Amino acid sequence: MKNIISKISICLLTLGAIVSCEDNLEQVPYDAFGTENAFATAADFENAIRGVYSALTLDGHYGSGDGGSMLSAPDVLTDNVTLAQAGRGTKAYLHRYDYDGNATLTTMYSNNYSLIYRANQLLSFATGFEGDNKANVVAEAKALRALAHFNLVTFWGKIPTQSADANSSLGVAYVFEADPNIEPARNTVGEVYDFIVTDLTEAVANINETNDDGRMNRDAVNILLSRVYLYMGEWQKAANAAGAVTATVATRDNFTGIWADENQDGLVFFIPNATPILGNQIGVTWSQGPLTSIIPEYAVSSELFDLYSNNDIRKTAYIATATNSFGDYNAIIKLFGRAGQNNGEVDYKIFRASEAKLNRAEALYRLGQEGPALTALNAVRSQRYDTAPGSETGSALEAAIFLERRLEFAFEYQHFFDIKRRGLGIERPSTGEFADGSGTPSERLNLPAGSFLFQLPFPQTALDTNPNLVQNTGYSN
Amino acid sequence: MKTKFSGILALLLVLVVQLSFAQQKTVTGTVNDDSGLPLPGANVVIKGTNTGTQTDFDGNYSISASVGQTLLFTYVGFGDQEIPVTASNVINVDLVPGAALDQVVITGYSRKNQTTQTSAVVSISASEISELSPTTSVDNLLQGKAAGVQVTAANGKPGQGAFVRIRGTGSLTAGASSPLYLVDGAPIREEDLGGIANEDIENITILKDAATTARYGSRGANGVVVITTKGGKRNNDAQVRISSRTGYSERIAPNYDLMNAEQKLQYEAELNALGVNAAGPLPGVTTLPGSEERQFLLDNQTDWSDLILRNGFIQSNNFSVSGGADKVDYFFSAGHDRNTGIIDQLSGYERTNARLNLNIDAKEWLTIGVNVGYSRSSSDEPRDRNNMQNPFRAMADYNPYETEFVLDENGNVTYDESGNPIYSPTTTSFNVRGALLSEPSVDYNNNLLASATAAVRLSDHFTYNFSAALNGLTTRTDGYSKPGGILDSLIGDADNPGNKLDFGSYLSDMTISNSLSYNLNGEKNNLNILGLYEYNIAEARSYTVRSIGFPSALLSTQSNAAQVTDGSTTRSKLALVSYGLFADYDYDERYLASASARYDASSNFGDDEQYGLFYSVSAGWNIAKENFFDVDAVNDFKLRGAYGTVGNRSGISRYASQGTVGFGSYPGGSSTIPDNIANPLLQWETTTTTNVGLELNMFQNRLRFVTDYFIRDTEDLLFDVPRAAESGIFSVTDNLGKIQNKGLELSLSGDIIRGENLTWTVGGNIILLDTEIVELPDGEDVTPNAFNILYREGSKINEHYLVRYAGVDPATGRPQYLNAEGETVFSDEIDGDTDRVLQGKSTIADKEGGFYSNIRYKGFGLRTDFVFKTGNWINDQVQANLNSDGALIGANQATSAFNYWQNPGDTNVHPSPLYIDEVIASDRFLTKGDYLRLRNVTLSYNFDKAVMDKTFLSSLRIYVQGQNLLTFSDFYGDPEVGISSGETISFADSVAPGELTLYSYPNTKSYQIGVDIGL
Repeated sequence: MKNIISKISICLLTLGAIVSCEDNLEQVPYDAFGTENAFATAADFENAIRGVYSALTLDGHYGSGDGGSMLSAPDVLTDNVTLAQAGRGTKAYLHRYDYDGNATLTTMYSNNYSLIYRANQLLSFATGFEGDNKANVVAEAKALRALAHFNLVTFWGKIPTQSADANSSLGVAYVFEADPNIEPARNTVGEVYDFIVTDLTEAVANINETNDDGRMNRDAVNILLSRVYLYMGEWQKAANAAGAVTATVATRDNFTGIWADENQDGLVFFIPNATPILGNQIGVTWSQGPLTSIIPEYAVSSELFDLYSNNDIRKTAYIATATNSFGDYNAIIKLFGRAGQNNGEVDYKIFRASEAKLNRAEALYRLGQEGPALTALNAVRSQRYDTAPGSETGSALEAAIFLERRLEFAFEYQHFFDIKRRGLGIERPSTGEFADGSGTPSERLNLPAGSFLFQLPFPQTALDTNPNLVQNTGYSN
Repeated sequence: MKTKFSGILALLLVLVVQLSFAQQKTVTGTVNDDSGLPLPGANVVIKGTNTGTQTDFDGNYSISASVGQTLLFTYVGFGDQEIPVTASNVINVDLVPGAALDQVVITGYSRKNQTTQTSAVVSISASEISELSPTTSVDNLLQGKAAGVQVTAANGKPGQGAFVRIRGTGSLTAGASSPLYLVDGAPIREEDLGGIANEDIENITILKDAATTARYGSRGANGVVVITTKGGKRNNDAQVRISSRTGYSERIAPNYDLMNAEQKLQYEAELNALGVNAAGPLPGVTTLPGSEERQFLLDNQTDWSDLILRNGFIQSNNFSVSGGADKVDYFFSAGHDRNTGIIDQLSGYERTNARLNLNIDAKEWLTIGVNVGYSRSSSDEPRDRNNMQNPFRAMADYNPYETEFVLDENGNVTYDESGNPIYSPTTTSFNVRGALLSEPSVDYNNNLLASATAAVRLSDHFTYNFSAALNGLTTRTDGYSKPGGILDSLIGDADNPGNKLDFGSYLSDMTISNSLSYNLNGEKNNLNILGLYEYNIAEARSYTVRSIGFPSALLSTQSNAAQVTDGSTTRSKLALVSYGLFADYDYDERYLASASARYDASSNFGDDEQYGLFYSVSAGWNIAKENFFDVDAVNDFKLRGAYGTVGNRSGISRYASQGTVGFGSYPGGSSTIPDNIANPLLQWETTTTTNVGLELNMFQNRLRFVTDYFIRDTEDLLFDVPRAAESGIFSVTDNLGKIQNKGLELSLSGDIIRGENLTWTVGGNIILLDTEIVELPDGEDVTPNAFNILYREGSKINEHYLVRYAGVDPATGRPQYLNAEGETVFSDEIDGDTDRVLQGKSTIADKEGGFYSNIRYKGFGLRTDFVFKTGNWINDQVQANLNSDGALIGANQATSAFNYWQNPGDTNVHPSPLYIDEVIASDRFLTKGDYLRLRNVTLSYNFDKAVMDKTFLSSLRIYVQGQNLLTFSDFYGDPEVGISSGETISFADSVAPGELTLYSYPNTKSYQIGVDIGL
């Protein structure tokens, strides 16, 4: 019997030894970090602000999302491009205004709020942090929060100058807290723009004059602020903010090289995009493959192509002839790739110095200061053409400012808003996608001024998850 | 010396001495099967004792017993027989096969006969497995074999597994509705079952209700599949078995035709004439009928499916040796399987496996054992995505007038400067024939399944069991875009050609189990109590490395690369600690009762929510064993009922309760990115199961009937509960909602003929299933990660959510739809969101099962197995793309696309392509998935023992077998749909398998011949 007892004892000991396995119920992740541990030191906040910036590179934001993003939507919605039948049909629903609550810029909507969550998380932890870099990172977070809300409200809300009722109409929810449980209602357009101005004004005051590549600086915030004021019709403030920008317009000699990342002339805010740090092939926004056998998503519309004169450096910097088995295209090469490449891996270029001049030109024109307006306009034109710039006045000057804006920022996140904020309609040429004008014209050739389609429908999932979110006029609930 | 007479031995001696006082004698005899053939290795036990022996190779046995005791004769797959020892010294027994109630049921923690079972369980034995369809994966084999087990083949790719659902869908989260699979005690993922060789399996037991699943506590909510590998038989010469088969597979011919070149060109011209812009640049318009150019296209047309596909080659060889001596038994096997699949230029699936199972009586009181199986598989993967990179999409889309290579004006293939033929870009700019060569992607799996066990017999009644079971899986994916290849020239880096991705993972899952059992086998009272302490830890690690810049297409390791572009590793752990107490009791096999309690703690729940208690109670009554029940025809008439709770912890991340951030890279340094939102209240998902069953055996077990009715209520569903988009986060893992699965299972089999030379058995089973979403968070609808599925309170699980199509307007050919109010309108009045409706059409079949017939005449055998499924709906996107009304005019179409509206009054036609813009996403191609399929037909011949005695072989069976030879279905294409598109929603992420067709690998039919040799 003694032996049985000893055997049982041994077995029980074995059993007992394994009881310590209960310690293993306390598991912490290896690939992530407890949130409260991640916002303590100055370095933590540098990491955190870079985390906010990295939300700009998400697919639906300044990335190449097939459903449309900042890179594509503001041009796909307009007369700047024509759908190429040989492509994959990406963003085509936007091009024909056939919005679908399950697809319409849903990723852009959620990506912008992802950025806002990250910014708010940083701002909330920053209240208990007193490091040297606090003022700068807080300013950056506010500037980014403003940028994201601005991108949202320009698509989903009206623009203040668009119509008389714009400021009192509903914009988007301006979110100030990182809280998973909020279900905010929409603020009015007026409120949203006021919040944006507040965030940007605080940012301008505290942000560093220069920051590392991939981060905003004072010039970048001022450019954004001047654009916001322009959209608000605050001409003097727009002119002032634009005037505060110190960066100079890229020279004609440097201009082509900017798009292959050979120089950064005139770039005020850009995100270096190279392996192994980012290496995103954002050029698939417009096409895939070499110019000799291209799979184009969109081609430059014949209307826009004809607006570029032959001595305009942008004509060759932005556009190249490409071909495939169907025919020749005027292909968009702004994101095509670095020298010798067609992989679409280029830096994200978000703010350029020329915008300050064009914002200022427009604002000054509105203020009746035609002379200074022309000077600002010609600061850009003198670096784009090899002929002497014009000296327009009156409505010819106004037309010249808007023409230059369209030419300078084609495929660069602005054209749709430049039409929308002036309450205009969209008229597309009835030519096809090929360079000679043949091919298949866009299915919808116009979007009349005042159409509700200028304000995008909120994604169905957003309506489903937030009972306080009201759909835009014109769309059924 | 003292140890010699220690504990256990002393006890045994006492026992022997006691026995010697009784009137003991030696009983001998032979155990045969019903046809008179001896049964080697049959068990002969004196009932109520641990004394027993096995029959030798000729079926002979010898045992010491006393008059008055009862001998119990058992053999797997045969009915038990009890014969009292009388004056005679010879007892010969003929056992009768196929008595279902006497099948061994292995619940993982215990083995018992079906006779005393109070739970709904189904057991599939080795003999049945070897007779059934020899597929490469176990889960596919379960289809139609057990009532209540629904099996959907993931797709037809060689080595691919299936989605198995036991009694409905018990969770709304991806990956959580699969049963728990255990191989010799080690959990294994559903997608890894292909690593187990069917030849190694002794028994598969499927546990369906709480009476048995509750013993697996936290992981048993969706049923448990217990797989036991083979052992040898004690005191038995080595039995060598060689199984070999070979054959070929082919695509099941679709029940529709694609257009040939002539038809496609004509279709393009017709659509152009109607004003479809996109047809304009196509050759049906740009070349004139009768022109030289047109003739060139017709002369050089390509049958893309002929070109891209081929007949697959199947080969399987397996070798095993099993046997045992007095104190040892063993099973050894080695096998090799190959299935090239039906895509030309891919080498398909290959698996090599080996196993050794060994049990040794180290001491009288101690048995130790080890089961070790190793398998290595490789799979040359096609891209399973919804574009031209997928061969199955490519062969549907490429126009028949296009060619594989660029042709010169004489129709001859052109060559590049290196002398290689130039692939034609096709209209898609992507030639999949070239890509199959230039973009190889191969998956490698190395799987080790090992368990070590020790059983310590502390006394006659007490046994202590220890087991350590390990499942180690190493996976590796080698994906290469060769420099200069099809993809590289499209999206590669011109300075750094070529792109190699190495991805790999190491998964280990270890279970250490300690149990103490008490066994009392009295004359009438049988009691078994088991106490359990178990610990399970799963760890996963992975790596990803990608490089670009390869000097040659022949070099593929990254040591040759110019630049590393991506590299990362991950790691995670999940722990489970369990205590259990299980009891089974029966009185004379007449009154049965069981109860269990299990207390589990899992590391992925909130700090204060880690523990969960799961319990079950069950009872049974075999009325046929009552004295008052005097119906000779009835052998068993058992009523049983079970009630209990089971848990689920899968489908969520391993750290789902903790608030975390992760880190990425951004110019300048690290970037902090929110990773998971904390939910400290996260806890177990719980399923409460009620089951009542009836088992009836009649006419000497010739007729066998089992029926069960069950209700499964699942609450605290583990759910990624969506948050408002404006919050900036997508969801928080939480417990919310309730679902219910209920149903009736029927299973009937009978020996229609049971003669000496001829037996004919037929059988079948069916589940009638009903699912309902009872409660959702805040009563709000939930959109799962599927295509068009919506969860809404009161609806079935996995209902399609689509706008209703209402045919064409006969007057104009315009497509019509129903709005939410049910009014027939045109597309301009349809809102793509709000006019969608649920129609009670779910992806889940409400009736599913199988039936079989097995005829044996002398040595001949003919077995046929049918499987069927009905009541499920499939959104047939392949059909939609092939009948796109002009929207996809650049791609090939089915001939049925010609059937569009042309004249007023036309009905049952496609819309006129004039209204190409009015074709919107709808249920137009939502089709019933009903099918009946001849899964297996096998004709075999077993050579007579008399013949074999003259050879050096002990047995020889030859067979021919066909799989999926016949299908009865109205579905457009193949109705067995699991994965839609593997890169859109992967196997592991599927919540609604079979929702949509989207060009995943189709199922195949196969023809094989095989031979089983015994030495």
